[in-house]
Amino acid sequence: MRYAKPVLLGRGALSAYLVLVLSLVLLFCKGISQSATRAEVQPTIQIPSNVAWTEETIRLASGGDAFRGLLWSRRCSHCHGSEGFSEEGGIPDLAGLDRLSLWKQLQDFRAGKRRSAAMQPIASGLSDQNIADLAAYFSMLPTSPDPQDNRAFPQPILDRLHTSIAVRLVVFGDAARGIPPCQACHGPVGFIKGAPSLMTQNGTYLRNQMQQFSDGSRANDINVVMRSIVNQLTDVEKTSLAEFYGAGPQSAGGLHP
Amino acid sequence: MNASSSLQSTNASPPGMLRKGGGFILSVVLLGLTLLALRYYEVDLPIYSLLEGHNRVDPAELHLSGEFVESNLGTAVNADGSYTVRMIAQQYLFVPQCIVVPAGVPVQFRVTSADASHLLSFSGTPYSIQAAPGYVSTAELTFDREGQFPMPCRRFCGPGHYAMRAQLKVVNRDQLANLRPYERITCALR
Repeated sequence: MRYAKPVLLGRGALSAYLVLVLSLVLLFCKGISQSATRAEVQPTIQIPSNVAWTEETIRLASGGDAFRGLLWSRRCSHCHGSEGFSEEGGIPDLAGLDRLSLWKQLQDFRAGKRRSAAMQPIASGLSDQNIADLAAYFSMLPTSPDPQDNRAFPQPILDRLHTSIAVRLVVFGDAARGIPPCQACHGPVGFIKGAPSLMTQNGTYLRNQMQQFSDGSRANDINVVMRSIVNQLTDVEKTSLAEFYGAGPQSAGGLHP
Repeated sequence: MNASSSLQSTNASPPGMLRKGGGFILSVVLLGLTLLALRYYEVDLPIYSLLEGHNRVDPAELHLSGEFVESNLGTAVNADGSYTVRMIAQQYLFVPQCIVVPAGVPVQFRVTSADASHLLSFSGTPYSIQAAPGYVSTAELTFDREGQFPMPCRRFCGPGHYAMRAQLKVVNRDQLANLRPYERITCALR
């Protein structure tokens, strides 16, 4: 057997390797010069929340035991209701919220990243395991009413103008202002980590939170998402959205299944 | 037997072009084709980042440390008088939502993504910047015309993609003359 002489050896190949090495060196030099010119002063760092959605955090937050959460939840039921639906408007309904958002809010209360006179002292007494257990319990509570319950609930009467404003924002958002549709993150069309479902939330609480996001008293959203959106909403739009979500899944004209 | 002998004969006598300095031409052509292919298939980003090294970030922890913390976003002036803009693309929002850049001066963009792959495009120009989670995409762009231009996302990133749009405000350079080194400016409502 006689083998052919490889093509890439000899003087021509040497220059080819030289070209390769040169281009690599040039690439590295570009990187170094870029990093050298970026020496600059950083402003003081504000950290909105200590929670970051790493694999480890998600494992901790979703690894709770719902039965232990049930035992701990006797402290919560005084304000948030025995079935996760509160009697008072300003207090959020926790039934059926997902584990990650419950975990994040309790962690932020505990770290002082979200302020509340009622919740901060309570959350400071909870461990990571307690928080995961509570999140597991509340996420398992049903959001639909008991089918055997025959009481007639008064249906809220919605303002038609407000409803149309809200439906437009919920379904389409407003591209001209860069406002994404609410349902892309808060369900039911899509969910992102840490964004709670708003389907069964009460309206007064939602209106308060939107106000707090826009005046800066609540700033625990990661990467300025909610502050950027809510700051562009007018007062009428905030009220409309709160009324729309607060009216519950039944009165939304079949928008929410 | 016949097949192997014919193979040997073709190997034993390469075309004349490859024998005298042909290796050089061949490798240059191959290198050029490779670079073109990298551009075309948009795999330039990971490879260049790997070579440069410092352009890696953790997409889940942007808000905790590093250059993409929320107080560092927006337009900054560097020590040498050049401008740097830092933005985060995420589902379904660019932060900051409105950025201010000077006209007629090259501006360095540093964009990363917190979740999916996004494409920050500049309406009215052929430019766009790909934002991929874990990597910082850099681009040096110059805007000549003053005014306000939309910057939509041009890669489908989820159900809220169609409303994902930021604004670019190109202003006279004098308006940014008094920017301090620790200041970051945007035109987003905060």
